Amino acid sequence: MDCVLAPDNILHDTLLFRVIYEWVGQLLPCGLSYAVAGIAIMLLLVNGVLLGAGGFSWLERRLIGRFQNRVGPNRWGPFGALQPMADLFKLLFKEDLVPRGADRIVFTIVPVAMMAPVVLMMAVVPFAKDTALANLNVGVLYVLAVTSITSIAIFMAGWASDNRYALFGASRGVAVLISYEVPVVMSLLGVVLVAGSMALDDIVSAQTVPFLLVQPMAFFVFLAGTSAELNRTPFDLAEAESEIIAGYHIEYSGVKFALIQATEFGAVLTSSAVMVTLFLSGWSGPFSDYLGWAWFLLKIGVLAFIFSWVRATFPRLRIDQLLAFAWKFLLPLSIINLFATALEVYFLRNDAGMLTTNDLWLMAGINFGVAFACLLTFGTLIQDKVRPAKSLTAASLSSPEVG
Amino acid sequence: MYGIAMAKGLLVTLKNLTKKPFTVQYPEERLKQHPRFRGEEFVWYEERCTGCASCAKYCPLGIIKIVTTPSETAPAQGDKYKLELFDISIERCMFCGLCVEACPYDALFMGSGFEQGQYSRKGMVIDIDQLRNADKRPSAFFRPQLEDAGYDPQGGRPLDWQEVGRESWQWHEREKAGMKIARPVPSDLLADGPRVDSSFVEDSVPEPKATDGPAPAGDAE
Amino acid sequence: MLFQDIVFWILSVMAVGAALGVVLVPDLFRAALLLAVVFVAVAGFFILLSAEFLAVVQVLIYVGAIAILIIFAVMLTRDVKHGNLPNRLQIPAVVFATLLLATLVTVAVDTEWNFLPAEQQERVDLVQTGAVTTLTGDLLTESGVAVEDQPEVQKAGLADLLIGDFVLPFEAVSVLLLAALIGALALVRPSPGSRRG
Repeated sequence: MDCVLAPDNILHDTLLFRVIYEWVGQLLPCGLSYAVAGIAIMLLLVNGVLLGAGGFSWLERRLIGRFQNRVGPNRWGPFGALQPMADLFKLLFKEDLVPRGADRIVFTIVPVAMMAPVVLMMAVVPFAKDTALANLNVGVLYVLAVTSITSIAIFMAGWASDNRYALFGASRGVAVLISYEVPVVMSLLGVVLVAGSMALDDIVSAQTVPFLLVQPMAFFVFLAGTSAELNRTPFDLAEAESEIIAGYHIEYSGVKFALIQATEFGAVLTSSAVMVTLFLSGWSGPFSDYLGWAWFLLKIGVLAFIFSWVRATFPRLRIDQLLAFAWKFLLPLSIINLFATALEVYFLRNDAGMLTTNDLWLMAGINFGVAFACLLTFGTLIQDKVRPAKSLTAASLSSPEVG
Repeated sequence: MYGIAMAKGLLVTLKNLTKKPFTVQYPEERLKQHPRFRGEEFVWYEERCTGCASCAKYCPLGIIKIVTTPSETAPAQGDKYKLELFDISIERCMFCGLCVEACPYDALFMGSGFEQGQYSRKGMVIDIDQLRNADKRPSAFFRPQLEDAGYDPQGGRPLDWQEVGRESWQWHEREKAGMKIARPVPSDLLADGPRVDSSFVEDSVPEPKATDGPAPAGDAE
Repeated sequence: MLFQDIVFWILSVMAVGAALGVVLVPDLFRAALLLAVVFVAVAGFFILLSAEFLAVVQVLIYVGAIAILIIFAVMLTRDVKHGNLPNRLQIPAVVFATLLLATLVTVAVDTEWNFLPAEQQERVDLVQTGAVTTLTGDLLTESGVAVEDQPEVQKAGLADLLIGDFVLPFEAVSVLLLAALIGALALVRPSPGSRRG
């Protein structure tokens, strides 16, 4: 039986899906092969995210070790490559404790609820030419919507633990998340304006000049905002290991904790994938027809390296510094970027509504200047004022006035 | 400008990637300890021990257990006891070395190994047979005769009971004779032998200058 | 069509079950979570009706912001595990809810729901899914819209409607949001006489 996908089917453009569908359709009836193809791609995504999470945890530990002048884990397997498996086995064999007053159903659902947005986000990212699982017309908005589900999962984790310190940690985590959602959304609006479409495939095609250069401030705001949303250092107050309250996952042990950690690392990879698609021109590069996926993975590797590099270098911010950074620094930057981009697009757009490559270079130049100016202005505005210490003299010590 | 410091920090971390890590791959490589290192082992010379149990009395944790009987072959007074039991429990030992400081006959020394991990609590008790058969490489802790002789327990040869006592140490002889000698010990009182490089120890005794002569032999009390 | 029917029934069961759960479950936090499930089911309905933009915006706003607001409010309330306290308004509430249900059911059943003919349905689909793409002339011609109809279809996009025909409600909503934001800030401001201020 030859099963052909109708052209108005939303999955028609996904080459991988069509290939699997037609291949399986020679053996099975068409409806069943549709389901089989869907499940195959879903398994690919889920396994990709989980394996990537494990691999990234190994890579990050080795990288942070080298950044700190030491060797990372190197005992299990060549160069310690089986270390994630060792971690997984350790966590599998640990006792799975549920606190007595905890809400059992919600407590058990939380790791799944945290993993779901990560896997869902990978559904719209194009790995290579014509290979996104769902080339949604509203891809960018879909990514933002899925990210906002994470806040509910964190709340569930904090509340279901029946532990007021977990609740404090969860409240802080959610406060950070919703504070950083606003600048992230506004920075992405600039990208959508320049590309003229919210579909991720169209954005990749529109990047004849990578948007990293055309929208430097948007990239910086998105990078910082995503770091905060993923609870990465320097923004990881909600779940850092050295905090007394280890955050919302304090009561989780065993496989549930393993899944939460896998979520954290997988989310870094997924957000890097989204960033690569939006700012670093996705799968394009030389020979991208055949090697698009290789360029994609390489660029994700570069971004993962940057995430680890930042983690190894910077100290942690306090919660008031975190929120001040979001509302007083990133939000004005993203609004100014949106304003400047809107003006540039309005004046440079030709009759068909398109921007040529030269226009993009011009915008890049203007935006770099704007970014520099804003960094100077807002950087000085947001600095903590340090009062110089008064020198202690006998006169000042003996006078009755206080400090 | 805002952010320059952060960029400099990032560059420092990036440069660390190119430097060689200073991790010591234990257990294939081990760091060299200094001669006065108090290890987890004990070196006991049965020939010098009289069974006075001063070490057991001095131990602040009470982990040394000594059971003696009068020796059948020696005269009744002024000679050694026969040791039936000499247990040191390193489960609770804090390796303070007070037992070593207490021994008047230089029979007990700290060892210099640190790999005494056992799989059961019973194995954490060092009994008398283990002490007899142990490798006799005493640490130079509280034994200036070993330290001034330049003995390196980590790399040197095992020592016999005749070589480790204070009686072979020249300063002891001169002090008994009433001379006062300033530290650092002048070079003509030192034994010949290789000096160990303890420059990484912060409070190591500096090398004696060759020009110092012995202090005048006055004020003898 | 069978696939869409199955999905519709699954979503309906999910939505109605979760809505019943919101009202009947004694634990208030679980009720808030079930409310989030209802929102997600409604987003599923929007997808079935080919309104992807609305579905995604529904998840972003309702689940991502309003459900969190409700959960915050639940957390700041004491003693939420045992449900509502008994009060005297239960009988009037039942009467009022029954009246409201009767009104809604009557309106839903008696309305003449029109189904558009096929080519108009296609145009509506195009406008709804193209709500956030620039509907250029080439795209429209490709999708089979005649040249004389193109300006009308182009102006029917969601963004054009918001800025064109419905600009007054749009701006009024933003003023309302600004007022709410200022009100919230005014509520949490420390009083002027305090030392921190």
